Amino acid sequence: MIQQGQEEPAAIPTVNIDGANVPFTEGETLYEICSRQKKDVPTLCYDPRLDPFGGCRLCVVELEGARNPVASCTTRATAGMKVRTKTEAIENHRRTLLELVVSENRQVEVDELAGYASQELKILVERYDANRGRFQGKQSGQSRDDDDNPFILRDYDQCISCYRCVRVCAEQEGDHAISVMNRGFDTRITTEFNGLLRDSDCTFCGQCVQTCPTGALADKKALKHVDVPGKIEKTRSVCPYCGVGCSVDLLSKGDKLVGVLPAMDGPANEGALCVKGQFAFGFVQHDDRLKTPMVRDEDGKLHATSWDNALDRAAEGLRAVVERHGREALYAIASGRAPHEAAYTMQKMMRAGWGLNHIDNCSRA
Amino acid sequence: MPSPTDAEIFTRWANTEAPLLPILHAFHDRDGFLGEKAIHAISEALRTPIADLYGTVTFYHHFAQQAPGQSAPRVCTGPICKLKGADALLDAMRGEGATPMACSGRCDDPVPVLKGHQTLVACDGQMTPWYSPIPIPNPGGLEECVFASIREPDRGTHDGYRRTGGYLGLEKALATDPAAVRQTISDSGLAGRGGAGFPTGRKWDAVAEDPRGPKTIVCNADEGEPGCFKDRTLMDLDPHAVIEGMAIAAHATGATRGFIYLRYEYPETAQILERALKEARATGLLGGQTGFDLWVRRGGGAYICGEETSLLNSLEGKHPFPRNRPPFPVTHGYENLPTVVNNVETLASVPPILSNGADWYRQLGTGEHAGTKVISLSGDVLRPGNYEVPLGLPLSKLLHEWAGGVPEGRAIQAVTMAGLSGGFLAREGLDVTLDEPSIRAQGSFLGAGGIMVLDDSRDMVAVAHSAMEFFAHESCGKCFPCRIGTARLTERLGSGGPASFESWREEVDDIGSTMKATSACGLGMAAPLITESLARWFPDQVETHLNSTTS
Repeated sequence: MIQQGQEEPAAIPTVNIDGANVPFTEGETLYEICSRQKKDVPTLCYDPRLDPFGGCRLCVVELEGARNPVASCTTRATAGMKVRTKTEAIENHRRTLLELVVSENRQVEVDELAGYASQELKILVERYDANRGRFQGKQSGQSRDDDDNPFILRDYDQCISCYRCVRVCAEQEGDHAISVMNRGFDTRITTEFNGLLRDSDCTFCGQCVQTCPTGALADKKALKHVDVPGKIEKTRSVCPYCGVGCSVDLLSKGDKLVGVLPAMDGPANEGALCVKGQFAFGFVQHDDRLKTPMVRDEDGKLHATSWDNALDRAAEGLRAVVERHGREALYAIASGRAPHEAAYTMQKMMRAGWGLNHIDNCSRA
Repeated sequence: MPSPTDAEIFTRWANTEAPLLPILHAFHDRDGFLGEKAIHAISEALRTPIADLYGTVTFYHHFAQQAPGQSAPRVCTGPICKLKGADALLDAMRGEGATPMACSGRCDDPVPVLKGHQTLVACDGQMTPWYSPIPIPNPGGLEECVFASIREPDRGTHDGYRRTGGYLGLEKALATDPAAVRQTISDSGLAGRGGAGFPTGRKWDAVAEDPRGPKTIVCNADEGEPGCFKDRTLMDLDPHAVIEGMAIAAHATGATRGFIYLRYEYPETAQILERALKEARATGLLGGQTGFDLWVRRGGGAYICGEETSLLNSLEGKHPFPRNRPPFPVTHGYENLPTVVNNVETLASVPPILSNGADWYRQLGTGEHAGTKVISLSGDVLRPGNYEVPLGLPLSKLLHEWAGGVPEGRAIQAVTMAGLSGGFLAREGLDVTLDEPSIRAQGSFLGAGGIMVLDDSRDMVAVAHSAMEFFAHESCGKCFPCRIGTARLTERLGSGGPASFESWREEVDDIGSTMKATSACGLGMAAPLITESLARWFPDQVETHLNSTTS
């Protein structure tokens, strides 16, 4: 029997979520705990990679003892908290918030090729059956049609000022190319002196596009393929451009590559890519791309040929070099645009075939 | 004096505490606006990303980005100035490039025009400089705290202040253990006079007990609430009281540095404070051996910077969005270190409390209400101005006996509370006493103590519209309910929104209740009190308005 005054063993701290006691670790936010519990608390300004911001207020929950609902994304759990995530009052506030957000935008439907998170607003509006005709009034944001950069569409007519783009640019990319200008309803996402992205510090990494929950920032390269028929399929791959090994999900319709998404669970990149991995996939199906092997004949020009012939010619050339100069004279460079399998085969040939480690890749970064 | 070069400005400011605001002001003063060249230079000197700096500059409405910029006159079109013909004055001055500005905290004066570093008023067809008037003594001869000596000649100078009992509180405090000083403040019942009403002693305890440092005392002098002009009067007429209060707070909490964050619209006050600070340093009250020094930092024009965490971001040179709380400034304030943020009036109350004792202060209030509160009274009353009232004084007594009531032939229709943030009180709602429990029972709050009086000739929907326009203009844009809600409510008080009263009421109530419940800071929580109280007290005027806009 435990005597009075004797210390009990330290209990694991818990919070009570909708009636169930849930253990948590120091520093966890209510939103993180709710997500673990599959509570499906809605949000538009949250990105798990970024510091909690507390802007959209959709993730508010009732906290016993607090005068007002609290934003679960910015509230750190303390032992004994009692939280209710889905009361009628909370759900009504969420619906009103969504109706307010929708009222400032021209359009809720956007093609999913716009970006990774582009359907978030649409999905929530449908889930809450938010009335799009309510709270009519002036609309916010202004599309930057003048920004003719080839990668990022800046359709601020759809912007809901969640600032995920600004925060991802600062916190993930460390670039600070975009920021917030003005105040209140006149708030705009901007660059230095409200100019074009190409005149700013933007590196066109595309992270702002992929975190945008409305398609206000969108992938121009992918959107070119909106009219390609067929369902979008995702194929997990690794970006070939350099040695970091960013995981990507290749988007295809039928046999056509239509876009690239960074993999949020990619161990090397956690949702980040650079301009090449994100946007430079056009070569795959480019008209100028070689479709057969080519060999240079005695006329000094390249001619299409069969694989057998091409491989024979290559083997011949390699042998000739080794005979004249020794195997140490060989050196092989794989193209960043070659498939991984080709790069692998090349190094295998050099290492296992010639006993050499003279290998490299054109985009060894 | 020749204008300073970029290098001279950076030499002067780059290595001081909280350098961004003074550097922005130095360029703004020199060039008249903050152009691309200036922003490039500042970005480089402070190693701040240029897009962030640009965005932050655009946040402040008084920082111009092109000529004529600072030299163009700004005419106050706040709620009271509107009643006094501000729109006509603005139109008359359009030729000089005049633009409107939100309430600039001079509702007891003629319509003010801000030009460069000067406040001017139209007087017999001439624009003449204007200074804070001395508060009218209360008719009953009731004892005061912060106004007790404010009418003494030369009170604003160090010598005059000393002669009338100034700096005795600091001397007493310095001879006392910091914990005992904090106990005195706790015992006095002094609570935040900026509107939130948090017990001052508890705030100081929290900062004192935090082992981290350096600690900071911030005086919140960003008096942006329309209808509030008490802090300006205190600083203009009694600047040493604020400095003394801060020095006592520093001793009580172990703080080594302080700031007075002053709103842009008070340029004369900045000069008065700088002069007083110079005197205080020269007489050994600040800096050097004292281990505490403080500096004035001027804002750039943004109501939200009166919200303490937004103020701290502004001081630190960050985008002035409010921070998420907790943690609170007492542990994570300026530079994420323990910080006291107190209002001007709160700090000015501290020296007399130290001199006269906690009990003396407590008994200045009525019944169980401790102490006094300065009320800024403006609008349709015979004697507008600042009045220091005992907490618990009946509102009607202030309006009629102290301020002379409404002009002859008129009746009071409504008053605003907490400036604009408390919405309207009318009819039986006017039977309150001036203390939070009484006013909160009517769904409003006393807040910073601005009360605007509206007689029965005023169009309440028009007043509500301009109030909501103000909140929409000042909403920072961080959280959805406030950013969109203030815009939608403004439209619904103007010509937009549903035409029938029932649908109007339903939309406005839904927006309002969500704003109150979910907004990230006080601005979004308070703004809907305007529509809520309008619909409660004046549904007939709303209906008339809806009929007139749809017919």
